[in-house]
Amino acid sequence: MGASDLDRQIEQLKRCEPLTEAEVKALCLKAMEILVEESNVQRVDAPVTICGDIHGQFYDMKELFKVGGDCPKTNYLFLGDFVDRGFYSVETFLLLLALKVRYPDRITLIRGNHESRQITQVYGFYDECLRKYGSVNVWRYCTDIFDYLSLSALIENKIFSVHGGLSPAITTLDQIRVIDRKQEVPHDGAMCDLLWSDPEDAVDGWGLSPRGAGFLFGGNVVSSFNHSNNIDYICRAHQLVMEGYKWMFNNKIVTVWSAPNYCYRCGNVAAILELDENLNKQFRVFEAAPHESRGVPSKRPAPDYFL
Amino acid sequence: MAEHERRDAEAGGDAAAATHTSNMQRVKVYRLADGGKWDDQGTGHVSIEYIEGSKELGLTVLDEEDNETLLVHNITSDDIYRKQEETIISWRDHEAATDLALSFQEAAGCSYIWENICDIQRNLQFSNLGALEVGPRQSSESLEASRIMHSNDDSFRSANGEFRELPPVELSNLPFILKTVLEGGITDQIRVAELITQDRDFFPKLVDIFRTCEDLESLDDLHMIFKLVKGIILLNSPSIFDKIFSDELILDIIGALEYDPEVPRVQKHRAFLKDHVVFKEAIHIENVSVVSKIHQTYRIGYLKDVILPRILDDATLASLNTMIHTNNASVISLLKDDALFIRQLFARMRSSDISMESKRELVLFLHEFCTLSKSLPLVQQLRLFRDLSGEGVFEIISDVLQSHDRRIVSAGIDILILFLNQDPNLLRSYIVQQEGNSLLGLLVKGMVTELGEEMHCQFLEILRILMDSFTMSGAHRDVIIEIFYERHLDYLVDVIASSCPPRSTANSVGAGRNAEGHRIKPEILLNVCELLCFCVVHHPYKIKCNFLMNNAIEKILALTRRREKFLVVAAVRFMRTIISRNDEHLIRHVVKFNLLKPIIDAFVENGDKYNMLHSGVLELLEYIRKENIKALVIYVIESFWDQLAKFEHFGSIQAFKLKYQQYLESAEPRLSASVPDMRKKAEQRGLEKEEEDYFNEDSDEEDSGSGRRAKHAQNQHSKAKVPNGSEADNVEGASRPKSAGLVDYDDDDEEEFNPPPKEPARPSEDDVPLNIATVKRRPVNAVDGKHADGEVRKRQKIETRISCAKIAAVTSTSSKHTDLQNKHAPHSPASSTPSTEANGVLREHGTNSEEHQHSVENAEASCQAGGDCIKDVGSMSTEKAVNTTNPSDSEPYSVR
Repeated sequence: MGASDLDRQIEQLKRCEPLTEAEVKALCLKAMEILVEESNVQRVDAPVTICGDIHGQFYDMKELFKVGGDCPKTNYLFLGDFVDRGFYSVETFLLLLALKVRYPDRITLIRGNHESRQITQVYGFYDECLRKYGSVNVWRYCTDIFDYLSLSALIENKIFSVHGGLSPAITTLDQIRVIDRKQEVPHDGAMCDLLWSDPEDAVDGWGLSPRGAGFLFGGNVVSSFNHSNNIDYICRAHQLVMEGYKWMFNNKIVTVWSAPNYCYRCGNVAAILELDENLNKQFRVFEAAPHESRGVPSKRPAPDYFL
Repeated sequence: MAEHERRDAEAGGDAAAATHTSNMQRVKVYRLADGGKWDDQGTGHVSIEYIEGSKELGLTVLDEEDNETLLVHNITSDDIYRKQEETIISWRDHEAATDLALSFQEAAGCSYIWENICDIQRNLQFSNLGALEVGPRQSSESLEASRIMHSNDDSFRSANGEFRELPPVELSNLPFILKTVLEGGITDQIRVAELITQDRDFFPKLVDIFRTCEDLESLDDLHMIFKLVKGIILLNSPSIFDKIFSDELILDIIGALEYDPEVPRVQKHRAFLKDHVVFKEAIHIENVSVVSKIHQTYRIGYLKDVILPRILDDATLASLNTMIHTNNASVISLLKDDALFIRQLFARMRSSDISMESKRELVLFLHEFCTLSKSLPLVQQLRLFRDLSGEGVFEIISDVLQSHDRRIVSAGIDILILFLNQDPNLLRSYIVQQEGNSLLGLLVKGMVTELGEEMHCQFLEILRILMDSFTMSGAHRDVIIEIFYERHLDYLVDVIASSCPPRSTANSVGAGRNAEGHRIKPEILLNVCELLCFCVVHHPYKIKCNFLMNNAIEKILALTRRREKFLVVAAVRFMRTIISRNDEHLIRHVVKFNLLKPIIDAFVENGDKYNMLHSGVLELLEYIRKENIKALVIYVIESFWDQLAKFEHFGSIQAFKLKYQQYLESAEPRLSASVPDMRKKAEQRGLEKEEEDYFNEDSDEEDSGSGRRAKHAQNQHSKAKVPNGSEADNVEGASRPKSAGLVDYDDDDEEEFNPPPKEPARPSEDDVPLNIATVKRRPVNAVDGKHADGEVRKRQKIETRISCAKIAAVTSTSSKHTDLQNKHAPHSPASSTPSTEANGVLREHGTNSEEHQHSVENAEASCQAGGDCIKDVGSMSTEKAVNTTNPSDSEPYSVR
């Protein structure tokens, strides 16, 4: 698979047309070679643009690229939850993955709690693959590649980025480095918490999470984590915020949410966080793609049927 | 959107709402008197209706006792209404020239009326619906239309505001019908649905209008018809669905849905359905109604997935899915009970004189047939699958799997997976028969050959299900496992071995890479490695004999010499799986054959790159350290420290070394002379005797210190409760360790791996050891109990290990080597203590080694950190473990 093949596939995916099963397999294999070289705490250089949950809202992600710039030109960090809920999880994830393979140094993808076999069987990605391909092989390839996605990123040693939040089992970044991440997201433990936890004002220290996985953590936890790892703040996603982004705990942690009008009905705006080479912050807020630009949903059923 | 949501909300509480309607509507009417006091005007029920003689919608309150009118108020577009708190709506009433207020009994009733008022105001402000909904239509026209519409109102409503009838279906009436369909509360909508259903001519007329408009290319009208059809579908009425999805109407209904005003281009759904979609009859279906149902199902699916996915609310979506499901069930059920049909199907599939093309169609048909059988009730489904296997479906699949047509191989594989998901024993019992044996071979071959391309993962899944030892046991499964190990395992191991560059005689591993052995694609090797890991977890006793005998582990580790980093990582994972068995035989084998060498070499070669290889190896070392696998700690340090020293800046490596030093300082000096010498001696003098001695000495020597306790702890199987470190000594002399671990082994053929007999005086806390000599070759079905037995013991072992890890930790804190300790401490995880109860939960749902590792890790951590807060965290995670046992429940709240 040469660069020109890839470019063609990227163009195709940008039109929201999915790849063939064989192409997906080959793409995933390429991606595996690249992702296996990434650290659990992947280093990312500034300038970089940080994006939160996408959830298969393909046309809204195209809005995101309009606002933030196209991929190789802008350096991107996506904080996970590419799939489920929206109508175009397949196209969304494959486009990001194709960009990753084509421009490995210009886009970083880390894992969200929805990048999991169990969760995707409940929240839509599995069904979407089955519907679009007539078999679940594409789902298998994609979920296999999920196991290779990094767990967190560290921007210029100053900003720690993760999908969910912190874990009581993790006090230093080095502890994240010794996680064997090639596995399904477990039900508990450090890896689970990184992808599932939430910051919570009302909690002092650690609290039970209503999600049933991960923890709630308070401002003191964040302060001491930031202090002991010498980082300025934590950037995470995982929770819908109506304004697209939200600071907490005295600017020690920020939530970035990039799925506008989440589930096509929440009425929220989305945001991305642009950091320049000096780590100056600028949030870019954007809205859902206008209805007309969406075209017809690409759920084509099989062209022939017996029953 | 707001509309849908409201409808959702109402639909959801429908049943309850009916009984509470009267409470919902119950209000007190107040009027502001001159003195600024609110006068109670009476209690009654409020509704929003067309007020007689006014053509406008208004609020009416009828007294609950005598049905007298307490209040009539025309809703105006002026901004005079206020909602106070949750239950009061008040306004300045111009006619009454004072302030009026309604105080609701229930907040829900209040907000319902409030929303209606707002809706009506909005409509009044936009003067009428035509202008709002139909878009570019001339405003004068729509004003006209609205006047007609309003003048019609009275005649279509009865005195109590209920619709009596719909106006005749004519183009000029469509705006009113549309308004009626879209607006009004749930009762109105139910009534409208009734009226539409009762009117035989409603849809035929609507279709006529649609056709005319389409001929005239009158886009505005077509847009309106789109909205009407969409609105009617969203009424979510089963009897309407029956009508519009009938053969006569459905294509026109779909035609009407081509004109979505919000999509710029007109869609070509009918053309697609008529010209592109092909209905294939692999076997002719006589029953006309079955055929009609098949078409209908496809079209509903198309409507749902292609035309309206964005528009359907959850309730309507669910109704459509139910229709599809019911249709499928009745089609499958009618066909399966048609003995002639089934016989014909199988006869044709077996027949040798049909074309490749027909054969293909038949297989694809069978695939769809099996897939859709999921719609049947479970019992019928099982019976169907049993019948199909009786008809010889597996022979046919075996045949299909040897085809060169990928599409049908893939369909065949899918059918097998469907059967396995339903009842694995059907396929298992076929495979254990003589003629079924070859199918297993085909499956194994499918995993590694090019033809299987794109389906490798499916073959992998089938083999996994066939040999899954965590599900309910079955005699057939164990036979299959036997066959697999006997005939196929070596083949798979050789696939790996032959695809990896040979071990270079030079010291550098890297030199050997790239060399040769690329016949097999890397993804295949990855799958094979995956399957072997699965075997290690599921068949601990089988793999011991097989892996040790044929030196399979070393062959598999050849993957570390592959260029692809993900294969190297897979090899590390394989080793991690082996080690996490915590099986002394395996561990000894690893030490004896220096099997960590390729792993450490790969790690060293990887240098300071933080990648998955790096994490994987560090995690492996962490595991060894935390599990206190002494033999491995000593082996690694003594064999590889030269190489590892330069990585000492990593916490994990440092901690590993410290662990070694702790062992060293707590044991007699002789210990340190061990591993490499041992290996040399072993090679000279034959292995078995030697390794036994080594381990015997080992534990005999350690008479004091934490190392000994750790060792002891690790091997102590039956004493689950050890209160603390100091009492551990009491248990010490009770038994020789390791017995249970070795006993598991006794039904293997390989004599040489049986341990030497234990001391006869050994107190028999469990009598299993006595079986060693007597039971040699058990009948196959006895293996079952055997395995289960083994699992139980394994669990005990884990439990024990957890408590023992605590002991080990406590002892280590009380150790004299405080300097080591201080360095050691920072590397331990900060807190979190799932208690043993939490582990109990983990154990119950087929745990894997990682999970054990967590528990042990945490148990250790808790003892080192100490303090109140940890207890809290501990009890918390107990609950959490309970919560997460059911995967589908793992997100009880909103998931983002």
